[in-house]
Amino acid sequence: MAVPLLDPLFNFARWLTHDSVEAEDLVQETFAKALRGFGSFVPGTDFRAWMFRILRNTFLTSRTGLQVKLTVPLDPDDDRLATVTWETPESLALVSATRDALQAALEALPVHYREVVLLCDVEEMKYAETAEVLGVPIGTVMSRLARGRKALRQILADDKAATGGKLDSTR
Amino acid sequence: MNCAEWQAQINSFADAELTPRGTQEFRAHADECRECASAALAAMETKAAVRRAGKRCTAPPELRARLLLQVQASSDTAVRMTSPKANVVNWPRSAVAAAAMILLAAGLFFLASRERRPNALGEFADLHVSTLASANPVEVVSTDRHTVKPWFQGRIPFTFDLPELQGSPFTLTGGRVTYFHQEPGAQLIFAEQKHLISAFIFRDTPQLAIPGEAFADRGTSFNLQTWTQDGLRYVLVSDINTAALKQLADLLQHY
Repeated sequence: MAVPLLDPLFNFARWLTHDSVEAEDLVQETFAKALRGFGSFVPGTDFRAWMFRILRNTFLTSRTGLQVKLTVPLDPDDDRLATVTWETPESLALVSATRDALQAALEALPVHYREVVLLCDVEEMKYAETAEVLGVPIGTVMSRLARGRKALRQILADDKAATGGKLDSTR
Repeated sequence: MNCAEWQAQINSFADAELTPRGTQEFRAHADECRECASAALAAMETKAAVRRAGKRCTAPPELRARLLLQVQASSDTAVRMTSPKANVVNWPRSAVAAAAMILLAAGLFFLASRERRPNALGEFADLHVSTLASANPVEVVSTDRHTVKPWFQGRIPFTFDLPELQGSPFTLTGGRVTYFHQEPGAQLIFAEQKHLISAFIFRDTPQLAIPGEAFADRGTSFNLQTWTQDGLRYVLVSDINTAALKQLADLLQHY
């Protein structure tokens, strides 16, 4: 029998937890919760967002998740669009980054930025769907996404400066 | 708007979240502003790079197997879900049986929705063919978009925009009201030389949730393009090649 969404959910869980075993537990618990609460799923609505939301809520109540929650800085989560400058060197650092460097930068990103970038870029969710998963308004998704992407560019630019552009030679 | 305001829209542009008008305006600005154009390009390339880098792992087969076991264990009196960090959960038999049914149902639901894709597209191909076979393929005969669009007023429960086709290989032939799963919608007939293209526009409903964009119906050799825009589902059906169909799709998306 097909277990749809298993791979995307596992991939997302792995990014949240940084750990493969923990990601497996998280996915298994997510499916268990989904089965128990299937009655609360409204047919015709977004099943994928519903599953991701369960997974994320489960993560936040796990041990790693609680640690993360405690360390999340009170970011200015207003609904106004973050004013983001597009410094060209940083943008270029991101474009020329290797897959490894990009993965390391994503790992280094605070989890509340990492999750929104992953949902938008990897799962290719629309803002509305991402907002449903995270349980926040669309405006918050947009401002977190802007800040998250900026932070990602910053990490890569710093990375590149630190290694003296060696990343390029490994391509 | 100054460049700072345009640049605040770059994320939305790269995420395809701007309205068609907003997208058009952004493109117009980017055509003239090298800085914003290169920033937008960088944002789009970044998105693609993150997508590639972010798809890092697939579920291990053991996990897949364990999830299936979770269902099969329903014949036991209780299931003990043991995982290193999760709590031990005891389920009464009835709950487990119900859960198993639900997972099966969920699986079937997904199989059904996968099946629906070719079916829905096949039905659009059928609509296209039956229209062409009809003695009166169009109800409003006009090459003027300002005639065709208003004709639909009061006939369908939504409105849509038509692009200027001047300078493109396509011409508008006319339109008609059509139905799909009891929903009224617009069918526009475009022509490219002797080839006819049907553009179906319906309100986007779950029945019309078609994943993907371009399809080739092997049985009938029709090409299809589909997308959603402003709550409407567009489906293009024709015997012209994919590239030409994509060109018309682009025109409709960025009128």
